[in-house]
Formats: sequence, C-alpha cells, structure tokens
Amino acid sequence: MDHFERLGQPRQHALDRDALETEYLARAAKAHPDKVDQDDASAKRAAMETSAAINEAYRTLRDPAKRAEYLVKLGGRDLDSSDPDVGAPKMPQAFLMEMIEHRERVVDARSAGADALDDLREDVDGQQGDALAEAVLAIAKGDTEAASRHLVVRRYLQRLLDEIDDEG
Amino acid sequence: MSDDFDPGALFQIEEPTAPAASKRAPGRGIGIDLGTTHSLVALAPHGEMPREVKDAEGHDILPSVVSYVGSEVVVGARARAAQVANPTQVISSVKRFMGRGRDEVGAHPYPMAAPKDEADQVVRFDMGAERAVTPMEVSAEILRVLKDRAEAELGEPIDGAVITVPAYFDDAQRQATKDAGRIAGLRVYRLLAEPTAAALAYGLDQTEGGKQGLFAIYDLGGGTFDISILRLREGVFQVLATGGDSALGGDDFDHALAAHLLEAAAVSAPTAQQREQALAVARSAKESLSDAQTVSVEVPTCGLSGFEVTREAFETLIDPIVRRTVKACRQTLKDADVGPDDLNGVVLVGGSTRVPKVRAVVEKTFKRPPLCDLDPDRVVAYGAAIQADILSGSAREGVTLLDVVPLSLGIETMGGIVEQLIPRNATIPIGARQVFTNYSEQQTGMVFHVVQGERELATDCRSLAKFELRGIPQLPPSMARIEVSFQLDADALLTVTAKELMTGIKQTIEVKPTYGLDEAAVDALVMESLDNAEADFEARNLAEGRVEAGRVSLAVRTALEEVGHLENLLPAAERELIVAALVATDEAMANASGTPGELKKAREHLETVSEAFARRRMERALLSGMEGKSLGEIESTLAAEEALEERRGSHTPQQT
Repeated sequence: MDHFERLGQPRQHALDRDALETEYLARAAKAHPDKVDQDDASAKRAAMETSAAINEAYRTLRDPAKRAEYLVKLGGRDLDSSDPDVGAPKMPQAFLMEMIEHRERVVDARSAGADALDDLREDVDGQQGDALAEAVLAIAKGDTEAASRHLVVRRYLQRLLDEIDDEG
Repeated sequence: MSDDFDPGALFQIEEPTAPAASKRAPGRGIGIDLGTTHSLVALAPHGEMPREVKDAEGHDILPSVVSYVGSEVVVGARARAAQVANPTQVISSVKRFMGRGRDEVGAHPYPMAAPKDEADQVVRFDMGAERAVTPMEVSAEILRVLKDRAEAELGEPIDGAVITVPAYFDDAQRQATKDAGRIAGLRVYRLLAEPTAAALAYGLDQTEGGKQGLFAIYDLGGGTFDISILRLREGVFQVLATGGDSALGGDDFDHALAAHLLEAAAVSAPTAQQREQALAVARSAKESLSDAQTVSVEVPTCGLSGFEVTREAFETLIDPIVRRTVKACRQTLKDADVGPDDLNGVVLVGGSTRVPKVRAVVEKTFKRPPLCDLDPDRVVAYGAAIQADILSGSAREGVTLLDVVPLSLGIETMGGIVEQLIPRNATIPIGARQVFTNYSEQQTGMVFHVVQGERELATDCRSLAKFELRGIPQLPPSMARIEVSFQLDADALLTVTAKELMTGIKQTIEVKPTYGLDEAAVDALVMESLDNAEADFEARNLAEGRVEAGRVSLAVRTALEEVGHLENLLPAAERELIVAALVATDEAMANASGTPGELKKAREHLETVSEAFARRRMERALLSGMEGKSLGEIESTLAAEEALEERRGSHTPQQT
C-alpha cells in the first residue's frame, strides 16, 4: 500500500488539500492507539503501527515538494539513495558550479546587509518554486528522469534557503 | 530517511499475538498533574465532570516537596514547612532533575551520592543514613500519596493513571516520569502533554459551534514553559506545533527576586538556609504583587526588614525571563504556519500565568485577551482525568488527541554530525528506519548514539542513549545491511529494533540510557516498592497478631484467676501446661523481631491447651441454668458462690 492509497487519494501531484486533511483526520482518529483496549498489548501495537503509517503518509503528501519526490520515488528514482541507477541522478558539472556561485552570493549579501539578503532570498525562493513547478510538469508527463533532476535542483536551492534563514 | 513506509517490514517486534482477556476497569482511571511546585490528582469517572481529589484536611493541592529528615518520608505541606530548617534533606522542584544528568542539573542545595562509576550520570541525592534517592524515586513518593488519595475517594483500587508532562519534555524526561509512575506502583496509561490536557479540560471542542478552531495554549508552570498550537477539526484535536523550555518557569521569577533581596541585604555568600528563606519570601511577595502594587518584605536570616518591592521593580527583574517565552511563542507559530490573527483563542495554564506582566505579554503577542476561566492550577489535572476515563474504557464522548514529538530525533554519524530521523512536530506515533553497513568482515558489532534536539552537532543535542548491535553476520565489507527501526509511541517514547537484511538475522540491542535508569534498575525499584508493600503488610499482620494473642491470653488469665484453683475444672497437670503456654505467648508478643507466624503459633497453642478448661467451664455454666448470661458473668457468680461455700465448710459437694 502506498501513501496515496493509505489516505484514499488519487496517485497524482494535484490533491485537494481540504479532502486530504479530512481523510487524514478521520483515518488517524480511527486508528489511534487510544481507541483500543489498553490491556490488549498486541492490539495496541497494531494500532501504533497503523497510526505511524498514516501519520507518515500525511507528512509526505501534505507537502508539495515531498509529494513530488515521493511520486518520483514510486516511478523508480529515490532521491535519498546514492545508487546511480535508482537513486538521485548525477548532476552536470555546470550545475554544481552554479550552486557554488549561489553560495558566494549568500556570503556577499550577508556582508552587504539585511536588504541584500532579503532580495537574494526572494530570488532563490522563486527559483526553488520554478524547479518544483517543472518537476510537477514532468511528473504529469510521466518523465521520472526529468522530474528527478528538477527535484535535485530544488533540494539544493532549499538547502540554500535554510542557510539564509538559519543565520539571517 | 526513506519516505516509503511498509509497517510489515518496519516493525519486527516480537509480541504474543493472542489477544489478552479484557480486564478494563471503566471509571477507575485517574489524572495526575505532577508539577514542579505542586501536584494534583483528579477524577472524572464514567463521563462525569472532572473534579480534584482532596486529602483529609480538605486540600487538593499537594506541594511537590519530599522530606527525608529522620527515618520518615514526608510529602507535601509538612515537608515544605521543614524546608528552611533542613534545606539539604527536603527536596523541592524535583521535576527539574527528571531525566537530567549529573553534569546538567546546575546549582542546587542537595548533597549528591558518589557516582557508581565514571560513566554513571544518574542523579542520586544523598539523604543521609546511607539513603540515596533518584529524582524518579522522589517523584514516586509524590505519586504514591496522590494514588492513595484517589483510592480512598474511589473506595477501590485504581486501574491506571494518565500523568501529564510538559509538552517540551524530551524522551529522557518522559521516560523518567513513566519510571516514577511504575516505581509508585501505577500503571501509566499515557503521558499526556500539559497544554493538550488543558485544551481537553477547556472543552474547546464544545465551543463556538464545536466544528473547527485554532487555539494557542500558553502554559507557564513553576519550572517549565510550554506553548502549543492546536487545531480542532472533525472531532480531532491535532497539535500543529509545540515549543517551550523545560527549564523555565515561575521558580525563575522567585530566584530573580530572591537574588534581588539578597543583594539588598548585602549578603553576597548566602547559606543554604538564608537562600531558602529568601526564596520563600520572594515566592510570597510575587504572589502578593499579582494584586498589590507594592509589598513590604522581611528576610530575618539576612537581617532584611521592611524592604519595599514594587510591581514595577519585580516586572523589570522578570522581564528577560518573560521575553524568552515570547521568543518560543513566535517560533511555534511559525512552525505551525499560522499567524496570531488565525487563532480563535489563547488559553492560559499554570500558576505563573497569574502574574499580570505575563498576561500582558501574552495578550500583546497573540493580539487578543487570553482565556482564563478555568483555574490555571487545576485545568491540567482535569484534562488528564478526562483522558484517563477514556482510556479506562468508559463510554465517554471525547475527541481524539493527535500529539507531536517536541524535538527532532537523530543519530550521530561520522564527525559528530547529527542525521535527523524524525523531525520535531511530527505527529506521533511515528517511525523511521535507517540502514547501516559493516566496514570489515571482522566486524560483529556496531555502536550508535541517538540524540534529541535541533542542533547540527551531536554534542549540542541531548544524548538519549547508546545502542550496541551485536551478532552481525560475517560478510564482506559493505555487504551487511543492518536496518535499524526507531519507533515513537503515543507517549513520544522511543523504542529501537534492528535486523540484518541480507540474512534476516535479528540483532541484539543493548540500550544504555544516558541519563535515566536502565530497565533492570527500574524493575529493581519496582520490586523494592513491592517489598516495602510486603513489609508494610507484615507489620500490619504482626500488629493484628499481637492484638489477637493479647485477647486470648487475657481471657485465659481471667478464667485462671477466677476458677483456676478448682481442681474439678482444671487438673493440676493441665494447669501447668496452660501457664507455660501463657508465658510462651507473652514472650512471642514481647519479641520485637518476631513474625506474625510465630505469634499465631503461640496463640494457637494457648488455645489448644486451654480448650478443655474452657469446655468444662462452659458445661458448668450451662448446668447451673444460667443460660443467657455471659460466660464471664456466670463464672464470677459461680466463683463467688463457691468461695462462700468454701469459707462455710470444707465439705463442699462437687458439682458435676
């Protein structure tokens, strides 16, 4: 059973957020360990496992980026793995150079002041959103390879954003 | 961490599969608020409104203070009264020590027992007379008093308890709380986050149409601070985010004011006694300043008298502390992805929210006046009682609580970097797994380190436990694949299991909690408390045995005195036996180290050898036609008659 089935959702990127929420709450409430006889250890454990699976599914599906990565994973590319065949795709040299430049821009902006950092943040956030949008398009076309590359780009940009926020 | 989730493969936990026979005990669950400064037990049996349970004197609030002065352990107001005179043997605010290591606890007045070895981080207070107690045992004393109180109220044994913990408590602190419950002989149904308990008690699910709502719970207790953002929807209370500081509370207000008083008294190196008194004075001044604008205080041991404290001065002193709570509120709103304007209400919990400055700050931060209809000191226990009633099996209408883990859980990797496994504010229960591999064929074991916290370096996070995997099959380097599964249950408590994927061999995991007691140590303490219960039982038996033996012995003695000289009632040989048995009974009763068994044996022997004597007396009484009177009356009457006859002449006709 995958996360979409677990929450009664169609296996696609576009989800009705409100319907997802309603389904999740109903299923999480029904499966919660508090709902079983507290003396029945095996029922309690089973409830804990089902609940954990439902909670994990919700955590994945409610977040658009995680949801896209999960769809790519179902398509055969696990971004958390370094395996060249089924893991994150190897990125071209040019992309890595670009990311190094981005990092230098963060250092420069930080010394230039809060406004410069805010501008940079906005810029990087825009790029991150674009990468996700392209990944979603690729997913809709069934192109897992292209989607996975866009999502790797998005991850790099997200990390950059986190760095800006952490010390900003 | 992998997003795929297959519970079948993830949870390899061996468990008897036969469902246990249900022994649910509806209505026999209790809710306990185990607070830093005071504790409380409440009941809400069979769907009733929650109510606090009072002691014989009518007090429901139990000061969380335990005195080890002398041989007796005293809990509550009497212990607190003894504190200024015995600052080193009366323990207060023990909650601050729960799940904390020796290196972490900061300054406190209690002597510490020597660690058992270099790695021993468990806090043990040396209470004299070779008595060392852990914070878990001290808390268990408080829990035991509350349990007894609830049982007296219910008139039957309780089945289980919900104990509240600050939402921001980490795994070690939660585990310590659960262990304290077990040591006190309680079945802990659940550990419930304090703000969540408060939300439940407020019945926020029943307000404003009851359909949907978003609430902030600001909980400032004696020693802990929590902020939780909860959403109600579809009959589910979902905690969206929680934050706080498990070492920040109203106690800090007292300390700030006490330091100010000591400074005013020019006492730079206060004794433990001076500090305790300054603290006690500060506490009561703080309370007065909730209503008054100024208060005049005296600290006799420091030679301070008639010292004026204004509310303004007090607010300046506590400002940095209150600011820290605001910072946590902002972060938690951000984590929950909501703004102050999205909220339907803000609820105040904890005695420290009585301080006007705190109220003002909360109102400003959340842009609305806070709700404080329910007593902030009792609302947490009420919520716990409601949840305990549900978990005891009562058919009670209630919402489902979906709580979160307050701090991220991770594992230390190469270079001391933390790899996050479960992020903070993830809804629990939740699991995660990680695959590890071997670096050489000779490697048969693996040690890893689980930490909790938001920092990147393991040394900056809280160490929870070290796990040792053993019995890894000998495989070429990087061929062994050991999958370690982490599971957080509904109490946010962690369990770890592992298996080798290539061979399917399950691994042995040895858990070494960094700051708590390991399973065996807790079991030993539970056994000890059972032993104590046995000792108590023994003592009661002995006392009852003494009473019983005394009763029999007195009856025989009285009979001997009155009619024992009559040969027809008591042949000389029999009389000797009885006298010997009486002596033996006296000895058994006087023996301080005697057992109830010995006493019983002596009494039974006395009853046996005096049985014939008793029977003859009974027959004699019956024959004399004096039924209806008590044996004693008959005997004294008969004895009087006989004595009279004896005096009259020597040839008294024998009665048959």
